[in-house]
Amino acid sequence: MIEFDIRLARGQFTLDASLKSEVRVIGLFGPSGAGKSTLLDVLSGSIKPAQGKIVINGRCLLDTDSGIDVPIHQRRIGVVYQDGRLFPHLSVRDNLIYGMRLLPEKARRYSLERITELLEIGSLLEQRSSQLSGGERQRVALGRALLASPDCLLLDEPMASLDVRLKSQILPFLRRVKEETQIPMIYVSHAMPEILDLTQQLAVMQDGRILSYGDYHEVLTSQAVLPLAQSLGIENVLVVTLAENHPDLGHSVAAFAEHYLTLPLSHHAPGTRVPIVVPAAHIALAKSLISGISIQNQLRGKVREIKLVGHRAVVSIDISTPLLVEVSEKSVREMGIETGQAIYCLIKTQSIRYLAGV
Amino acid sequence: MDSLLLTPAETAALLLSIKVALWCAAISIIPGVFMGWLLARKSFPGKSVVDSLVHLPLVLPPVVPGYLLLVLLGSQGIVGKWLYQQFGIELAFTWKGAVAASAVMAFPLMVRAVRLSILQIDKALETAARTLGASPLHVFFSITMPLAAPGIITGLILAFSRSLGEFGATITFVGNIEGETRTLPLAIYSYTQVPGGEDQTIRLVIISIVLALAALIISNRMERQVTRKLGLRKIDD
Repeated sequence: MIEFDIRLARGQFTLDASLKSEVRVIGLFGPSGAGKSTLLDVLSGSIKPAQGKIVINGRCLLDTDSGIDVPIHQRRIGVVYQDGRLFPHLSVRDNLIYGMRLLPEKARRYSLERITELLEIGSLLEQRSSQLSGGERQRVALGRALLASPDCLLLDEPMASLDVRLKSQILPFLRRVKEETQIPMIYVSHAMPEILDLTQQLAVMQDGRILSYGDYHEVLTSQAVLPLAQSLGIENVLVVTLAENHPDLGHSVAAFAEHYLTLPLSHHAPGTRVPIVVPAAHIALAKSLISGISIQNQLRGKVREIKLVGHRAVVSIDISTPLLVEVSEKSVREMGIETGQAIYCLIKTQSIRYLAGV
Repeated sequence: MDSLLLTPAETAALLLSIKVALWCAAISIIPGVFMGWLLARKSFPGKSVVDSLVHLPLVLPPVVPGYLLLVLLGSQGIVGKWLYQQFGIELAFTWKGAVAASAVMAFPLMVRAVRLSILQIDKALETAARTLGASPLHVFFSITMPLAAPGIITGLILAFSRSLGEFGATITFVGNIEGETRTLPLAIYSYTQVPGGEDQTIRLVIISIVLALAALIISNRMERQVTRKLGLRKIDD
């Protein structure tokens, strides 16, 4: 579906990135300065690489060897930028239909009605784009890109400038777009949980190179990526189903596979599926169930793999899904943790946070 | 009371001035916007030379461009001869020549205003428009031009006002012919040269001030309206 191989030198920075993927939604993760935005600019056509090839859905957009270079406006690659980039002189409606109007009727894949409904922006149509909140602005930017009927959608940290509360105004919509359209997407972020909420297929980028690509669990624990992931802080994302809310006690209970988790109090109704974030370094391990302990969550699992990064150990534990736990090398040795062993993962309620706010 | 009424000659000078200034603004708009965009957005070999040439009328004594216009566009000039033979257009010593003279003098002001406003437009918006399928030309008309509108209006008013005040290039190129090329400044100059012309001079000076003030007030108001309509942030207040 998406294939590229790009080389570009800019001063001290060199981009040398290649990827071949048949997966529809790819997460592109990397620290600031890794070259993620530059890569997207090359894909969308606003930067020309010295050498490279880009093929999307079988359509060649760039091939420096054979002199192919499709101009930006003919690439059909939609981009949602961090700052939205709405046109300030146009109303929300005119922003939305800007790209759509340039298409012949039969090439339009979505109607304005469908997109406004999908993104819940119908009430904003007559407003000026400068009057919108951050979350609304990004939804309009997303709708504008979709209405141009792109072959591929690039999302360049669309939530980076939003606070947690506003993220909840866009995250569910990104999920909807993923589920209800068939557009291949590359979602770029330096926040791993945002990506994992959308896709488990991850490409990790550092210093202009793609270090690894594949299932997030394999990628994060690969030798190339693990040191970087550990230094940035590994976080697990679990999608749990709220079971009970106890406002009087200040917590909620959620089901996850065969487990029950005690979480900080949520405002969502029981039955709602919510993504939660658990930092790997905030999980403790025990060889048996511990009684008389304040920690509310003890999840039983099986050790799959142990990887060392310096004197830290990243232990992958199967709790029906892989959970990454970061402990010290000393603990692993003293406890005698080995692969295949049964183990309990201890998670304090307050170590768990909701990805898109409570 | 009589001293407040304009004589036919004075009225002719006033109307001629307005006509020349309107034409000056009108013919400057397309090349002015294009040149402002070119200098703001494009890099090409010889850009600094083009930039300097455009701005030359700002720093030269106005009689120099006037003289060059006479040489080029006069009835014996290369371009002037061609214009007359092909289109029957005669510029030297006609009001059309006065338009040409003030347009040359006003051009750098128009270009500067447009360039400045285009430089203030976030290029990222233009790129975003391209990713939505807009060709460079469509981006120019749908994004760049509307967002540069306050600057274009400022440029037009500056061109209009500069034309009202044009003296040196005009008198050199088209002379000082009553009813044909005698604009307000030329008329004022003429009245100062004749004994007993004080009343006329004062009346025309007052008219010039009123006209200039009106142009400024209208431009401020239009700019504010356009800025508000475009939903842009206010430039000063």
